[in-house]
Amino acid sequence: MSTAQPLTAAPTVPPPAAPAPATPPIVEIDKLDFFYGDKQALFDVTLGIPEKQVTAFIGPSGCGKTTLLRCLNRMNDLVDVARIGGGEIRIDGINIYDPRVDVIELRKRVGMVFQKSNPFPKSIYENIAYGLRLHGITHKSKLDEVVEKSLRGAALWDEVKDRLHDSGMGLSGGQQQRLCIARAIAVEPDVILMDEPCSALDPIATAKVEELIHELKNKYTIVIVTHNMQQAARVSDLTAFFYLGKLIEFAGTQKIFMKPSNPQTEAYVSGHFG
Amino acid sequence: MANDTQEPIAVTHSVRKQLLAPGKFRLFGKNRDWWIKQFFEGNAALSIIVLLLIVFTLFREAAGFMPGNRHNLEVYRLAGLEYVDIVKRETNSAAALGRELSATRLAWFEALRAEGLTSETANERLAPLDEIDTRLADATGPLRDIVSEMTDHAASVKERANVAEDMKEVRQNLRSGIKGADSQRAASLESQAAAVEIEEIDYATEIVALTSRLPEIQAANRALSAELGALAAALPRSDIPAVSKRLQRFAQALEEFRVGIPRVEGELVRWRADEPVGAFESFNAFLFGRTWVTASFWQDWYGVLPLFFGSFFISVLALAIAIPLGVCAALYVNQVARPAEQRFIKPYIEFIAAIPSVVLGFFGIAMLGETLRLVSQVPWLSWVPGFPMQERLNAFTAATLLALMAIPTIFTLAEDALQNVPKALREASFALGASRLQTIVRIILPAALSGITAAILLGFGRVIGETMVVLLCAGNRIAIPDFSAGLGVAFQPVHTMTGIVAQEMGEVVRGSLHYRALFMVGSLLFLLSLAVNYGAQKIVTRYRLPQS
Amino acid sequence: MSTRPDFPARRSILRQPSWAARQEQLLFLLLRLGTYGVLLAAAVIFIDIGWKGGRVVFRAEAPFINVPFLTEAPESLHVLKMPDGTTLKMGDREYRAFNEAHPEQVKAARAENYVYSAGGIFPNIVGTVLLVLGSMTIALVLGVCSAVYLSEYAKEGPLVRLVRLSIANLAGVPSIVFGLFGFGLFVVALGWNVSLLAGWFTLAFMVLPIIITASEESLRAVPKGLREGALALGATKFQTIRTNVLPYALPGILTSSVLAVARVAGETAPIMFTAAYVVRDQMPWDVAKWTDFVFQGVMALPYHIYVVASKIPQNEYTRDVQYGTAFVFLFTVAAIALSAILLRARLRKQYRW
Repeated sequence: MSTAQPLTAAPTVPPPAAPAPATPPIVEIDKLDFFYGDKQALFDVTLGIPEKQVTAFIGPSGCGKTTLLRCLNRMNDLVDVARIGGGEIRIDGINIYDPRVDVIELRKRVGMVFQKSNPFPKSIYENIAYGLRLHGITHKSKLDEVVEKSLRGAALWDEVKDRLHDSGMGLSGGQQQRLCIARAIAVEPDVILMDEPCSALDPIATAKVEELIHELKNKYTIVIVTHNMQQAARVSDLTAFFYLGKLIEFAGTQKIFMKPSNPQTEAYVSGHFG
Repeated sequence: MANDTQEPIAVTHSVRKQLLAPGKFRLFGKNRDWWIKQFFEGNAALSIIVLLLIVFTLFREAAGFMPGNRHNLEVYRLAGLEYVDIVKRETNSAAALGRELSATRLAWFEALRAEGLTSETANERLAPLDEIDTRLADATGPLRDIVSEMTDHAASVKERANVAEDMKEVRQNLRSGIKGADSQRAASLESQAAAVEIEEIDYATEIVALTSRLPEIQAANRALSAELGALAAALPRSDIPAVSKRLQRFAQALEEFRVGIPRVEGELVRWRADEPVGAFESFNAFLFGRTWVTASFWQDWYGVLPLFFGSFFISVLALAIAIPLGVCAALYVNQVARPAEQRFIKPYIEFIAAIPSVVLGFFGIAMLGETLRLVSQVPWLSWVPGFPMQERLNAFTAATLLALMAIPTIFTLAEDALQNVPKALREASFALGASRLQTIVRIILPAALSGITAAILLGFGRVIGETMVVLLCAGNRIAIPDFSAGLGVAFQPVHTMTGIVAQEMGEVVRGSLHYRALFMVGSLLFLLSLAVNYGAQKIVTRYRLPQS
Repeated sequence: MSTRPDFPARRSILRQPSWAARQEQLLFLLLRLGTYGVLLAAAVIFIDIGWKGGRVVFRAEAPFINVPFLTEAPESLHVLKMPDGTTLKMGDREYRAFNEAHPEQVKAARAENYVYSAGGIFPNIVGTVLLVLGSMTIALVLGVCSAVYLSEYAKEGPLVRLVRLSIANLAGVPSIVFGLFGFGLFVVALGWNVSLLAGWFTLAFMVLPIIITASEESLRAVPKGLREGALALGATKFQTIRTNVLPYALPGILTSSVLAVARVAGETAPIMFTAAYVVRDQMPWDVAKWTDFVFQGVMALPYHIYVVASKIPQNEYTRDVQYGTAFVFLFTVAAIALSAILLRARLRKQYRW
């Protein structure tokens, strides 16, 4: 990172203007400051994520994109020293850090897919049914229906329909990741957060997941963190570039990759560092 | 589900409603998860509570010991038992002189027999010595008589004091029944209580019966002293070097005894019955007391020193066996053994740790003790100090078994410590051309030293706290090991702190001084184990290697 | 050669084993001898008790097991040395019957009497099983809950440090001190007397550190991803633990706890004054109501070994019961421990996440 000379120059860029969204933003991040202990990880981030679009967060390692993602469903609550320093995040106009907010309900509505696929050591069927059972759905026919629908939604149904009761750990890496996506959509979230979902997958499995993301955006708002700029270019409608905890530029993906308005963004997307 | 397209609207609606909805379950303003967390937290805090309960229980039961023992010592002084004991010390050392004389005579007799004399002639030759023996016994006779009379008197006074104590308790019990009883019954109880006779013992007058004997004692001492001088002069000589040496030693002991007589008298003169027993005296009598005598008609002593020495001595012996073997096994497994051997030896040694201590103790009684004694009787092993063994159950028997218990602890922890030495250190040493031996001795052992030290400390904690093996195999003789026997001291029977608790706890009266003394021993053990643990943890955290 | 002293390596690399190499071999030999010496010493104990005790417990003919020894209560052994040189050995009941039938023979004989040396050890086995079951239940519930707190909820702080300190120190407290504690608190202060309940709690507190440590290790071995996956689906913390952490940690917890079972079954000192009777005529289930059940003392195998080893003489008549009891006890505990050690090794291989 230190090799990038122009980047260390004072970021004289004006705060990135939100792109004119086709739909009003469902997630609004407003002047967010975030700390791990004494160390500030996010600086004054403001950003609106529109509904039923794919928004990609890009940036070099340690730039805060995963941190921001994990703020969106308050997974950072699990880290002892993590705290919000200022600003707020609103989903549907509700500040999710409001003490009255039910975190469980929030996480149900903002699903997450992790970098390392983490199917539970249960059967494929039970993996999907797990979330539903948590929320009190136990009726067999209902479960069967949702499992099938979710697996179809994750483009996994045809591959696993004959072995629903085999362990989810027995699937290939790409299938495991799609199982995790299926698990996430089974509880009918509004937003799905994806934290580098393809970083551990081979190109073919990656292509399948990307294809799936493309389909999912018809129904869900998707936020994806990725290291892979081609991937961001392929799957996302909007792209936000982060550097050292600051949002440098946020615009339509086309614009970010073709004619970024910020020199730092340009240096990054053209592969000069990162 | 049928109508997918309309669902998002419904969902959005539900989000708005539910995101701000507080959880259904509330108790005192806290939700379910908070209470669940409290439940688990409470469970974790239980460890602290248990530890505190142990401290509380031990010290609560032990607390009564201090005043109790102080009272015990007070009665000892007031009733004059202490006074009698001073004189008794003199008669006891006189008796020891007699025993020394008999031993000398036996040695002489055997020497003479070895020269080819018949037993009659030998006995004849020893007649002067026999005469001295008789004169010595006669000379101490008057003193012995006085002591015996004084003993009777002091013991009876103490007995009366004890009865008075008991009666006081009876009266108190009766009075405590009054509360809550109806008036008629209360009156009867009160009259009963009043009828209980409690003797007020006038120690000051009783003691005069003892102290008034001082002139008699002094007279007896003067006669004794004169006779001793005469005896020393009449002591026969021998030209057999060994016997001559013994005779000289006897003469010396005789002289020492004679010189000591005025000292005893001085003590008697200075002794005061009304000298108060200090607050620390009862504590010191426990911690530094050299005798543990219970249920005695004369005086109970609760001195932990012999038990502490016994425990400590056995532990040191056991560790002397266990440390080399445990560390050696750890080194072997970690550095030398092939993987197949490792897979066999490690679980095996872990498995040894699972042998119940009572089974080891049983093995010691049924098998090992007898075997060791038979081995010690083999003539060509007689050069070993302490061989042949007097008792089959002794410190050594217990220590070997304890060593077997400590080895798994030491082995496992030491092996861990060796394992934790970074591989890079080892490889760097090899790369410099060091041999395996050099690498082990110069690099790996020093690097693992803190871990091994902690292992040894924890092994010590395990051994000193072990009960059944020492109870069954240590011989249970309450005495400070006699280190003048050289290395042979290892074969003396001893008693231990753990052993005494296990042995006597079942038989004591609850709440008695003896009961409380056992809790004192327990508290001491507890503190000791805490200290050992603390030390081990400190060493481990302080000298931890930068971990890979 | 001597002209090239600056290249000693050139010479020594081809040399015969040097003194240093031989020294090394010697030391390694010593290490090996020491190690195998320890193994041998343990083997001697197993063989001695296995051989002498095995002869008591097993039989050459069907049913191959000494059934009375395992199913009867201990009795006194009466040894009658008859004037004609024969020796009769009989248990207490048998002796009374014999005395009724042939009083003159009993009078003529020289009689010796050894307590507990006839009959069997059935009540002792039952008592030990009851003690283990009860104390392990208590210890597992308390221990696993503590471990859940430490691994799932606790944040580093004074409380957690204090808890860890307590656990480490509890682990080092001698078992006899636990016995004293149980006696002072449960038997005397709470007035439970010598009872199963007092023994259960004493033993449970004694193994608590082992269970907590083992459980925490197993819980921490469950990958973080499983917890996050469940939480991201909207599970509450407790739901996550209950459905997605504990089930996967349970095999590890149970296996490690088997070692604690061996410890609980094997300890004598803590139950000496809290739960164990030297002898008791009723079986534990001969009680009027359930409260009597938990407030009764029992006979236990380890205490019985202590009693027969220390309170009766060692001779040909008492050896059978001594070695037989030790055999049953040692090999039961050893089997439990061995299965735990083997299972654990296997589990470690299996659950490498």
